[in-house]
Amino acid sequence: MNKFRKLTTAIAVSLGTMSLTPIVSAETASSEDDVILSVPGVMPVGALEMTDEPGRWFKDPTDGDSLVVVKPGDAVLIKMTDVNAEHTITSLLWQPGAAKFPVDQDKPSSASVTQTFDKPGLYVFTCKVHPYMFGAVVVDDPNTEGLDLGSEIQLVTGAKVPTTSDIAKKLLRTFFVATTPSLWRDYSKPNWDLKLPSIPLNLGGTVISLDALNVSMPNKLSNPATPGVGEVWVNAQFETIKGKSKPGSATQVDAANWTIKKKVKGVDINMNNPHNMWTDRSYKYIYQTEWFDKRLVTFDRETGQIYGALTVGQSPSHVMSRPSDDSLTVALNGEDRVLKLTGGKHPTAQDSVNTGPNSGPHGHHVTHDGKYALTPNALAGSVSIVDLDSGQASTVPNVGVIPIAIWGDATDKAYVANLLGTPPLLSTLSVIDIKSKQKIKDINLAADYDPISGKTTGEAYGLLPIQTPISPDGKYVVTANTLSATITITDTSTHKVLKSLPCEPGCHGVNFGMKKGGGYYAYVASKFANDLIVVDMDKLEIAGRVMLADVKDADIVGNNGMGGQGVLPLPVADHGWIEQTAKLSGSGQLSAEVESWLGALTTAQRGIELSGKMVQSEGKH
Amino acid sequence: MSLSCILRRTSSFLSSPLLLAIFFIPIAQAEYVPAKTDSVSGSTHRITLRAAPLPSGQFGYQMVSHKIQTAGGQTEDVTARYSDKPTIPGPAIVMTEGDVAEITLENGIPNTDQPVSLHVHGVHFDIRSDGTMKMLNGVADEAAFPGKPYTYKWTAAPGTAGTWPYHDHTFGNPMLGAEDKGLFGTLIVNPRSGKVPALINGKIEDVNVGDIKREFVLWMHETTFWGMEVNNILKGKQVPLWTNPTVGARLGEKVRFHVIGLGTAFHTFHLHGHRWLNPGTTHVVDTVNIGPISRDTFVVQAGEGVGTGDWHFHCHVIQHMQAGMMGDFKVVK
Repeated sequence: MNKFRKLTTAIAVSLGTMSLTPIVSAETASSEDDVILSVPGVMPVGALEMTDEPGRWFKDPTDGDSLVVVKPGDAVLIKMTDVNAEHTITSLLWQPGAAKFPVDQDKPSSASVTQTFDKPGLYVFTCKVHPYMFGAVVVDDPNTEGLDLGSEIQLVTGAKVPTTSDIAKKLLRTFFVATTPSLWRDYSKPNWDLKLPSIPLNLGGTVISLDALNVSMPNKLSNPATPGVGEVWVNAQFETIKGKSKPGSATQVDAANWTIKKKVKGVDINMNNPHNMWTDRSYKYIYQTEWFDKRLVTFDRETGQIYGALTVGQSPSHVMSRPSDDSLTVALNGEDRVLKLTGGKHPTAQDSVNTGPNSGPHGHHVTHDGKYALTPNALAGSVSIVDLDSGQASTVPNVGVIPIAIWGDATDKAYVANLLGTPPLLSTLSVIDIKSKQKIKDINLAADYDPISGKTTGEAYGLLPIQTPISPDGKYVVTANTLSATITITDTSTHKVLKSLPCEPGCHGVNFGMKKGGGYYAYVASKFANDLIVVDMDKLEIAGRVMLADVKDADIVGNNGMGGQGVLPLPVADHGWIEQTAKLSGSGQLSAEVESWLGALTTAQRGIELSGKMVQSEGKH
Repeated sequence: MSLSCILRRTSSFLSSPLLLAIFFIPIAQAEYVPAKTDSVSGSTHRITLRAAPLPSGQFGYQMVSHKIQTAGGQTEDVTARYSDKPTIPGPAIVMTEGDVAEITLENGIPNTDQPVSLHVHGVHFDIRSDGTMKMLNGVADEAAFPGKPYTYKWTAAPGTAGTWPYHDHTFGNPMLGAEDKGLFGTLIVNPRSGKVPALINGKIEDVNVGDIKREFVLWMHETTFWGMEVNNILKGKQVPLWTNPTVGARLGEKVRFHVIGLGTAFHTFHLHGHRWLNPGTTHVVDTVNIGPISRDTFVVQAGEGVGTGDWHFHCHVIQHMQAGMMGDFKVVK
């Protein structure tokens, strides 16, 4: 009901602004017409201020939500107010034929936009660097019934879909969930009740109620029957914490009993939106990127003590080491570079490799041999293959729209998730051949989904794919799909989607960890829920859902356990890395805890079987 | 001698009457006494401003009342010059060297306990009119709280002629204030001589301030110009021009531009077809650097040597141009 009031307030404000329109008054106009020769520009009647606050990434200063309602002809100011990094202001969807659309800024900056809207309907803005920052403007014709969303929406991919379609409704529901933390799925409650107010929406003549998008389902947590080995680190990026103004923690889960060991909150450094993590060979340090900021944070895995926060550049997204020497690579999502740093307690920048103009690399991956960093260039729609020794980068162009995460296997193939597909395909994984530096094919993740009716006729149902790692045995690609809230499992030999498993709103991060007694678990974290999903990679089924909220921790003031993004299971299951750690076993360089984890691994998990293959493949280079 | 020993000795010295005699008394004697010229007789401006929200949720200053009492004792109410709503930029306050202003600020921002203030640049004021909080100025919270206005006193002393910004320094954050949300405005101090140098017909000459027909105030904030015209033909009538406007003048009219920066970005202001004097120099320019709160003020003769037309003005930083940071100087017959 609160939302309803806010929306109606917004409508009232919009209607009431007529008298405030900055035209010279009638009296002035007649007597001073020939004297005043200036013509006023647009006065924005609404504003969306970009912030680092979870959900409120485009915040209406009048009521704090992310939606502004205006009349045709009105203008809205979109500006960056409380952000530590540079962003873009970019149309995600708009009304077909609207004047001065789409809005797009090539490069991240702090530039504002004052945009006039002529055509009634729904307009959604995002940032290309952080593509779940959403803000919406509804241009409502006061003479029609309900809030006008228009009959069609034009998507940034080029697709045009009716607002009555299933995909349009999914986008609308996702918009409200993403921008309203009170609607996030909280597993400390028995049910998830997504309750939207009953506001009439006019979909080009068809009037529906917003509450038709409501969802209600039980929240059931369950521990996997078989424990994992080691621990799982999850960036609960949206947790708000006492003593700091910026959100996020690194949450450490014990895989032996599925309980939370600790949360590293970074109060002293005002840790901001921690997004993704990696470690060194001995698992002493955790390296973590602040995606909405400029820093790489280093902390002690065992004690949680923060050793430093090094400024590395705009919007560092992912960090990964080269297995051979523990040196680090950081993708700078708000720039065009991969930064190379020394490892250890205090990483130092060494060099950087350019990934091409306006590239904005996001979730990069270092190949198992440490030779290449593969970058999905979110802003350029391409993939770069960066030779980490020579510093040379080769580009595979025209991969997809917002390629956001990539993963290379041991056979010179890489899989890249295109957040907005490869037009005309709505949702894709592209397969890249690293040697020939070409795209081999696009796998349609949504082949079994009808975007109009919403009917699914098979397992291929993944919309808006994000993280997409390859299982350590090379058999599967597991992809977190944020719009469909599904986990898709793709067979690497047939390139077919074998399974689609239920995920959570904002399904986002995936990585593999060791299952006790052999095999792997895929751990999946979601932005707008506070559970960690455990997928058994032997059965390709969900083995359990583990709580990421610590309800007893009074220092967590909001969004407890929410914002799941980067996932780092230890021991690192990836080949290339696990062997390096296994080599240190017995050398005295590993803690007793890490030694015990290694002791619990099977031969296959330690990577012995694959190392023969790796030597061969290295020989071919 | 150990360090702690030195510290002990120093602290005992610091509290000694000798030290008071040596340091504090001479300092008190050397206290700055404002020069008499500060109070040269001019007009007194009695102004009430209000900080209030705009429909967009931005904030603006609004003129509530402006009365000018001349040295001769006559009072003129000039409130009608201004918009009766809050604007971005806020009201342009025009003074002359020798004038003083008493400005009472009201906090008209609903649903807040945050103080709002007025911090001015360029003119003279004592520490109680700094418009900052006690944590910064060490004296007082110099801001308007809801229901508790605050009065500032500015002196446009000789040597303060120029165009200056005023802005909030307290709302939401005592270090920053809410200038970024629209709480900023312009103070124009005209020289007592009544003349400003300008490039007219290719030559440097002194222009009578009274001959300036229009004042175009252009604030450069991030990628937007926020404009205000002060029309001297209509006795200082102020016309809010909002974002990226068209400013207009007749061919040959002397008009004055006041370009001021705000925020974090650095700009290069360029006006097509016109040249002007870099203030204080004989250097002729058509583009000037504008950083946050730095400004340039210059007089041009509209269309001089180039005639009528829609003369473009814009920030010359490519990214800002791409974002639409531009407008027109429309010169008509």
